[in-house]
Amino acid sequence: MTNQARAKSSVDAKAEVRRAVASLAQPAPNAQSTTSDLSIDEELNLHSIGWEPIELVSGVSLFSTPVGLWNWGEGEITSASEAHAQAFKYAIARIHKEAADVGGHGVVGVHIERSVYSTHVEVSLLGTAVRPVGTKSFEASNVFVSDLSARDFTLLMVAGWEPLGLATGASFVYAPRRTMGTVLQQQSQNVELKNYTEAMYSSRESAMERMQAVAIELKGAGVVGVKVVEGPMPFAAHAVGFAAWGTVVRLAKDAHHLIQPQMVVSLNDLGVAFDAQSLH
Amino acid sequence: MSESPHDLPEAAERRLAGGAFSSGLSVSDFGACLEMGLEPVGLVQGFCAMHQGAYAMGGTLSRNLSPFGGSGSGYVQNYQCPHGMISNEHRMWGQNYEQTWVQDAWNQGFTSAYDRMLEEATTLGAHGVVGVIDTQMPLGDVGVIEFHLRGTAVKVLDMPAPTSSPWTTYLAGQRLAKVFEAGYVPVSIVATVSSVRVWAYCVTEYLMEGFGGTMWSNATNSSSPIEIDQIVTAHTWSRQRVRSLARTQLRGDALHGAAVQLAQREFQKGDLEIEALLRGNRIRRFKDFDPLPVPQPTVRLS
Repeated sequence: MTNQARAKSSVDAKAEVRRAVASLAQPAPNAQSTTSDLSIDEELNLHSIGWEPIELVSGVSLFSTPVGLWNWGEGEITSASEAHAQAFKYAIARIHKEAADVGGHGVVGVHIERSVYSTHVEVSLLGTAVRPVGTKSFEASNVFVSDLSARDFTLLMVAGWEPLGLATGASFVYAPRRTMGTVLQQQSQNVELKNYTEAMYSSRESAMERMQAVAIELKGAGVVGVKVVEGPMPFAAHAVGFAAWGTVVRLAKDAHHLIQPQMVVSLNDLGVAFDAQSLH
Repeated sequence: MSESPHDLPEAAERRLAGGAFSSGLSVSDFGACLEMGLEPVGLVQGFCAMHQGAYAMGGTLSRNLSPFGGSGSGYVQNYQCPHGMISNEHRMWGQNYEQTWVQDAWNQGFTSAYDRMLEEATTLGAHGVVGVIDTQMPLGDVGVIEFHLRGTAVKVLDMPAPTSSPWTTYLAGQRLAKVFEAGYVPVSIVATVSSVRVWAYCVTEYLMEGFGGTMWSNATNSSSPIEIDQIVTAHTWSRQRVRSLARTQLRGDALHGAAVQLAQREFQKGDLEIEALLRGNRIRRFKDFDPLPVPQPTVRLS
């Protein structure tokens, strides 16, 4: 930017701020209030494709599991897997309903908090309902729930794809105990513990299959942004778990629109990248 | 927020009348503010140490000692044991109730600190306060919270002196510039809290311990997971309540950049206190929707 153009833009910015501040003398608009947890960057991203935030929405669910579930057994711990699936299903249904009730076409940037305890499974979702600017009615069944950020949502839409909903899958499996003889025999050996390896494989396959089944049910082409949590359960020595979730997407147009990013070299001086927040 | 209380300490008045300005802005935010025609005039602050009323016997808060007492004016929902049996251990009753006194204490503390910060800004002749940072810290004594708000008071260059209370925002620098760019003007920061107490009844207590069959849970299939209705209801209520409280402060404006913080304390199985804190910027559209062109994606070479 030339100095002249820069000076002009600076004058414009100042005039714009004066105009904005002067408008505060007018009474508040008689309009429906909106709420959003999007950052200003995310909101500008949404604006650029003609979308706007409407309302913060949430969904919660807790499912109890039977006593003694994790202690002893073989194969999948079906009650735990089912509790996980149900907790997600109910929480998604609730956030979906809240979004549909306020006229949202979808929910973006859903924060997912998920906890698995020995006694229950807890899922909490919080996001912002969005819609194309000014639109009103929308078929409730088409409202999507996505954990993609508003920025990723914008990129996805620009590339000609659309989100359809959240897909989740989880499986919890017992790793069978070794016999005392095997334990003693293996004590002095470097040996793979096949019981654990097989349990991990088993839980992963079931969880991924369940997530994929949701994607197919939603008529999606695939799942993007898949997050994975796996490993032994902290409260049960012989149980392992695998959970995955992500956003189901499909092509909204005839073909993928190629995004051709521009190469940039930043001239930012890291020396001034200082923020008052860091004074905390 | 209410009008300023006009109780500025004399030392603060002397300091604010001095020649040099102070600011909490980073160098880059300071530069961006000047670019927008916002001139920092002082780092303004407000404090309030607030004591939250105790659960005194016979006092207005004594209901908290018993699940039978109700919650006065707030939300209350009762749960009754379906088993029809009586023993000392068996919880015949349960209740979710709004802790209105917790919410009131929080609002009073926050609003007092906020008003004191605004009073300093008004003394400086500021149009607004940018880059507000608010903290709530427990003080040494039990049940005492220190509310502290600080921000940088700014004057808008080439504008007449303000005639009304300054506007406030958590944003500063380029982020604030983008708010104006998007066609919004900041009105005020918004912070609200909702608090709900859960007294578990027998079904909730047993479900939180992992259910042992059909006897306590009323389930038809003992191995099927069961939703814990009382706690789900309390969680859902706390999230909805904090949003509806924030909405009462918006009066047709938008709440932007909100953050919800959730805290949960468990005293016994199923006996919970759930608190939701929502903070954000109240903003108002000052020009018609005029989107930027779709941003050009870039790849950074480092």
